[in-house]
Amino acid sequence: MARKQTVRGCACSRRDFLARGLYGIGIGAGLPLVLSRTSAALTAQALRGTSAEKHPERILVVIELSGGNDGLNTVVPYSDAAYYRARPKLGIAERDVIKTSDGFGFHPSMVGFEHLYKDGMLAVVHGCGYDHPSLSHFSSMGFWHTGVPNGGETRGWIGRLADERYDASTRNVIVDLGTSQSLAVRGSRHSPLVFDDPARFHRDGTDAEKQVLAGLSRPAPTSNPVLQFLKSTAENATESSDVVRRATADYHTSVDYGQGGGLGGNLRRVAALIASGMPTRLYYVTYQGNSFDTHVQQADLHSRLLMYTADAVRGFIEDLKRIGRADQVAVMMFTEFGRRVEENGSLGTDHGTATPMFVIGTGVKGGLYGRHPSLTDLDDGNMKMTTDFRRVYATVIKEWLGCDAADDILKGRFDPLGMFA
Amino acid sequence: MRRAFAIVLLPFIALVAIRAASGEWAGDLSPIAARDWTYDRAAHLIERAGFGAAPDEVARLAALTPQRAVDELVDYESIADDLKPFDESVIWDPGMDPFPPSRAEAVRLAREHGGGLGEKILPEGAQRRLQPVVDKFFYGLYANAIETQRLGLWWANRMLATRRPLEEKLTLFWHGHFATGENKVRDYRMMLRQNEMFRAQASGAFRDLLVGILKDPAMLVYLDNGENIKKHPNENFGRELLELFTMGVGNYTERDVREAARAFTGWTNNVLEFKFDADQHDAAPKTFLGQTAPFDGEDIVDRILAQPVTAEFMAAKIYRFFVRDEMDGAVRTELGRTYRDSGYRMKPLLKRIFLSKDFYSAQAVATQIKSPVHLVVSTYKKMSLREVPTIPDFGRMTASLGQSLFDPPNVAGWAGGRTWITPSTLLNRGNMFRAVLFPDVKGFRPPDRTMSATDVRVGQRFAQGMSMTEATLEDVDAATMAESNMMVDRDEDYNTRYGGFKGNLLAFERTRLIPRRTAQIDLAAMIAAGGADTVDKVVDQFVRRFLSVTLAERDRSLLVDFLRTKLGSTSIIPGEHLEDALRELLYLVLSAPEYQVG
Repeated sequence: MARKQTVRGCACSRRDFLARGLYGIGIGAGLPLVLSRTSAALTAQALRGTSAEKHPERILVVIELSGGNDGLNTVVPYSDAAYYRARPKLGIAERDVIKTSDGFGFHPSMVGFEHLYKDGMLAVVHGCGYDHPSLSHFSSMGFWHTGVPNGGETRGWIGRLADERYDASTRNVIVDLGTSQSLAVRGSRHSPLVFDDPARFHRDGTDAEKQVLAGLSRPAPTSNPVLQFLKSTAENATESSDVVRRATADYHTSVDYGQGGGLGGNLRRVAALIASGMPTRLYYVTYQGNSFDTHVQQADLHSRLLMYTADAVRGFIEDLKRIGRADQVAVMMFTEFGRRVEENGSLGTDHGTATPMFVIGTGVKGGLYGRHPSLTDLDDGNMKMTTDFRRVYATVIKEWLGCDAADDILKGRFDPLGMFA
Repeated sequence: MRRAFAIVLLPFIALVAIRAASGEWAGDLSPIAARDWTYDRAAHLIERAGFGAAPDEVARLAALTPQRAVDELVDYESIADDLKPFDESVIWDPGMDPFPPSRAEAVRLAREHGGGLGEKILPEGAQRRLQPVVDKFFYGLYANAIETQRLGLWWANRMLATRRPLEEKLTLFWHGHFATGENKVRDYRMMLRQNEMFRAQASGAFRDLLVGILKDPAMLVYLDNGENIKKHPNENFGRELLELFTMGVGNYTERDVREAARAFTGWTNNVLEFKFDADQHDAAPKTFLGQTAPFDGEDIVDRILAQPVTAEFMAAKIYRFFVRDEMDGAVRTELGRTYRDSGYRMKPLLKRIFLSKDFYSAQAVATQIKSPVHLVVSTYKKMSLREVPTIPDFGRMTASLGQSLFDPPNVAGWAGGRTWITPSTLLNRGNMFRAVLFPDVKGFRPPDRTMSATDVRVGQRFAQGMSMTEATLEDVDAATMAESNMMVDRDEDYNTRYGGFKGNLLAFERTRLIPRRTAQIDLAAMIAAGGADTVDKVVDQFVRRFLSVTLAERDRSLLVDFLRTKLGSTSIIPGEHLEDALRELLYLVLSAPEYQVG
């Protein structure tokens, strides 16, 4: 709310307000292309050094683990006897845990995270969640996507972040790798670029055909809102596909991202896009298909999922180091909820609440953050969250991306965790 | 003078009146009058109640009254079903049931019993003793995945060829509503049986369908209900039943979820049959939706159906599938009442919807984004194809757009609507039809016989005489090698990656090959039959045949200019060159943003 007041009721971001203040007109509002670019450059110059423009080169990669990852078997509280009481069959034995500190450690398959942790670039935030937790995948994931639990917000927090932080005339600020767009990236001023396979992101046909299709994709007045949406998406696609394909076509790496799930493949694509110098600052990557929903026989499956995840993230960081871009990137990883403390009768775990989040990058002060929830003082069998997940969002928004509009974006005040040097 | 005035203006006034009326029709559930029945409205009906149609079929429906047309579509049982059943490959050997939930579990069982999945382990002292079981495990995964591709193609052919289009459309609706995925079920037989159940119950009473799905082996496996036992109830089944299948979030409590789960304890399957395991069933009283009694699963279903919110939730979902996303509150209440008053029978609800003015309002017509499956099948219908082409591959086409039959993304099914569209899928929605019109026969790789690059490499190295360990090594920096790649060959009794390669080979041997054919299209004949002898007429004919909206003049003239330039003439002269030019034009029409709505 404060933000909107400082811009005197202007329903736009501070950046656009400044642009208007400087030039009296919104960038891209009907200006000829050349003039518009000049104006953007001048504005960027004028803004340099202001708090809004700290670290314009920094990139955030958000990884979603869908299905509700079992946090207790990911960051194992091996020194807590209550853990082994609740998990007589599924508990990870202390001797197998990859120990970190304070009586916690990673699942033994997360060798990738062990490397990152030892290098001091992996932060774990214990017990993340929100008040009045939902145990529905779809509701809870929606809350993490919007960043407004039980709030009915229609835009995603990454979409709102882009709207506040990045000039609306900059294209492709957000890339979402997938076959459909996540609610998390839905905004009102930036069109997220969504694709799964860059090699297939192009228009087939002869030059003459493509020319006609570019014409058919031009927005035109219509009373049919769906058609309007299709036309603008088509225009966006025409303009962006060449950029993306060129960016990723020639990328080769010897770094091993491991197997399984597609997460490694997608992170490799992100590395390729970063290497190519895309203007993208916010990447969204999903470990898809509700994979982490481990209701039955979870030990082997969960072990594999964690291994693939840790391998992929570590591969990504190694690859970024190889291309000299690691200092520019931070990774944040979340899931929609953790799982019940007590294992179920099917050698699995049911939907729960609080769960750890992870922040990874060379700029991160590695270690354990927050307080682990009690395993005995439970709310209907579930842990009581100790850190609102939006504090972690606020941390990456403020401390990493240097954007001080976190309160507006998150629609409330959430203290950052002091995670970045 | 007066008379001339009337002649000039009357048609204009009439047109304006129709436009205004169909704009005001939104929210009006009263039936459309026979005098308002037109070709375009008949086309809209078959687009939504089926998978669209070629002009001859649309014209046939347009010649009926709306009542007759709707009755014919909805009361489809009177039309003979002469389609062939699925032609199954024989892939399940004795000993493969029940299929182990993971490779690790298969290995454990093999160590314990000296074999598994119908295979014996090798004698003591032999190298890689467990390899036959591991190979067979991967064979099971791949063979079922391939058979599921075949199953998807069989279904697509039904959608295309059926004379009961609503039956297949409803079957697709139920598949999305009671979403179940082969990737977890890992047994095409269960998917086939479920599909047949949906078809048999498609337009019947919701209770039968609900009990049918709750006893359906594929669903029981998909939601882990085999593990829902008296001592440790598993909530997955109960939760999705309430949240996704019947009532919607916010209309029940967490306690209701747990109590429902208890009522379904002991509901399990013996491979392909439902099994009630009385020993695992919790027969004690449960408190569910405010009442306490020793409810069993069917009692829970009846309690749910007694809630008015259930009828509204379901009617709204059906409305969104057939009509549009936005729904006004009064329509929701009214359709909920229609559904509930009829005892949750589908037909009265569907007839009410398909006959309503609301269904034909400007807000409903050509405002729905076609699902990938609908997009492909309806295009083939409009091309008058009799069989689904297999170059390009049907499953691969729809998968690249975000929809695979028998593999919905999760238990909530496909979100639909605008979520189908991203910049990338929008381009692919056009590209894939270029591949239909100009098929790449030489470069085509059949997905039912394609190995991953890793498996191909393993096979090649093995053929060169490398050891299993050498053949399965990953080509990466040793310093950054991922844990998962180290694991491939860590156990000396078997090699996982070799198992993947071998399993693939066996699956190729034993599943029936999908016959590969390109589309049999003759556009030159099509335009000749329609009497289009100029480029303008050809463009108009294509637009009318394929699009649900008219094109803006600016866009239409782009197409006309394209074809004229291509042919070097404004009139159509038969010749070899013509067919290719028409195909290029059709590719443009099918790639237009306008083609995505129906």
